[in-house]
Amino acid sequence: MLKGVVFFRKRKAHPPTASVTPLRISSELNSPIGWQGKLDLAFAYAQEKTSLVHCQVQAPLKVQRPFYPEGNRVCHSVILHTAGGIVGGDRLALNVTLQPQAQVLITTAAAGKIYRSNGLQARQTTFLEVSAGACLEWLPQETIVFNQAIYRQDLRIELAPGATWLGWEITRLGRSARGERFLQGQWRSHTEVWQQGHPLWIDRQWLQGGEPWMDSPNGLAGCPVIASLAWLGAPISPELLEKIRLLWDTTNETSGFADGNDEAAVTRLQSGLLCRYRGNSTQVARRWLIAVWQLIRLSSSRQTACLPGVWSL
Amino acid sequence: MPDLHSSLSLLGLLQLSSSTLPVGAYSYSEGLEALVEAGKIFHGESLQHWLAWELRYGSIQLEAAAMVRTYRAIATDDCAAILYWNAWLSAVRETEELRSQSWQMGRSLLRLLQDTQPNREPNPEMVTKLAEVQQVCGHHCNFAIAFALAATYWQIDERSALFGYLFSWANNLVGAGVRLIPLGQTIGQQILLNLHEAIELASQTILTLSDDDLAACGWGLSLASMTHETQYSRLFRS
Repeated sequence: MLKGVVFFRKRKAHPPTASVTPLRISSELNSPIGWQGKLDLAFAYAQEKTSLVHCQVQAPLKVQRPFYPEGNRVCHSVILHTAGGIVGGDRLALNVTLQPQAQVLITTAAAGKIYRSNGLQARQTTFLEVSAGACLEWLPQETIVFNQAIYRQDLRIELAPGATWLGWEITRLGRSARGERFLQGQWRSHTEVWQQGHPLWIDRQWLQGGEPWMDSPNGLAGCPVIASLAWLGAPISPELLEKIRLLWDTTNETSGFADGNDEAAVTRLQSGLLCRYRGNSTQVARRWLIAVWQLIRLSSSRQTACLPGVWSL
Repeated sequence: MPDLHSSLSLLGLLQLSSSTLPVGAYSYSEGLEALVEAGKIFHGESLQHWLAWELRYGSIQLEAAAMVRTYRAIATDDCAAILYWNAWLSAVRETEELRSQSWQMGRSLLRLLQDTQPNREPNPEMVTKLAEVQQVCGHHCNFAIAFALAATYWQIDERSALFGYLFSWANNLVGAGVRLIPLGQTIGQQILLNLHEAIELASQTILTLSDDDLAACGWGLSLASMTHETQYSRLFRS
């Protein structure tokens, strides 16, 4: 089929197509046309060091050699998407396993890009398994969803007793820096965190491209950037919750970047915490989420983390 | 001439979806109080827009869909499914405030069912089911789950139960909006009338959604409810 060409050319957004996205596109559009990227990683903890013990990748996904900027206990890993972005028909599958006591921070080398679709859905499925006493920090850089992209991601996390997961996601809908808005297409993001057969948090988000979604106060209220941070596996004390709630004001007082439309708030989950941001700036979102993450690090009697060098802050 | 059975079902529906059902719904605003304070909802039109959107794309669809699934699970005696949808709903609720509300109202409705006799000879099977759900869901029974049980107990059909669930939700929040903005009672009733179409559309959608389709656009509600948890001065509870 002609479409095989996709594998060899440099990824560029598809030309505009006449196809209009149906409401609630189903997952049936799974014809294998684009990349079938895979990434399987396993980390183990032994002799006071967390090591990458299994690594199997299939283009366009790759992983950099692990590094240890904060000592041997915490292994930092950077995932790369070598094609530059995701287009309709792509299927990416990521599996990460942390064996007992492993401590891992995973981020991405650059902002993710979801290009305008040719009519097919692009899909990323991620499965994270965190064993007893292990801790996974899942901190990808932001994702830019181009206008007319059709994208779905599924993130499932299995926590063993005593395991913790801290993850965030920062999404920009439309390349707003150049005035583009997300007026067509669809973005769907399902996140589920389970512990021993019990769901701790299920987040089923979807957005349809279009002004009603972008402008309604129920939806994005005119803001192109949404972000969430969730921390699960540990109960949150009222004192810590209180401290985290104060961070939005203090981080903005010191840097003064957030504008009047930016909103951020915090709540408790069953056995965890959830922070949400809706605003205009991925920088503001990221700075706030980093502050929350650092405070959580300190509270769980670990050092504040040194920030991964791939982040351009 | 409707038969006695359907008349009695209708009466059950009216009672279950009445604003006087003593489950404490009136003490919650589901984010409206924070939205009114922030000036985002300030008149009848903005209130109606908010509620119509939630019915069409918001998390009330997830609740109602879980209610329908539980209704079916009770009919087929599928205890595992009841437990699953209850746990699913607890995990899906956006905020601590919304989760606590759902649990408190669910608990109150279960207690009400226990403490009252149905209008017809209680079906021994149903009594067992009530006990079962209580056993299964324990202290944290979500309102949608208890509502499905009440609907089964009072022999209300599935579609009517769904209408009742959505209507009582809308009725309660229109009431909250009327108090908060404030609006005249007539305007409140007009908004509720205007929402009939949205309720009808939502119920059609909900009945056709697959489990995998269950998703909502909840950024506005999520932020408003989180903000309400720390709102300094307020009428409505967390």
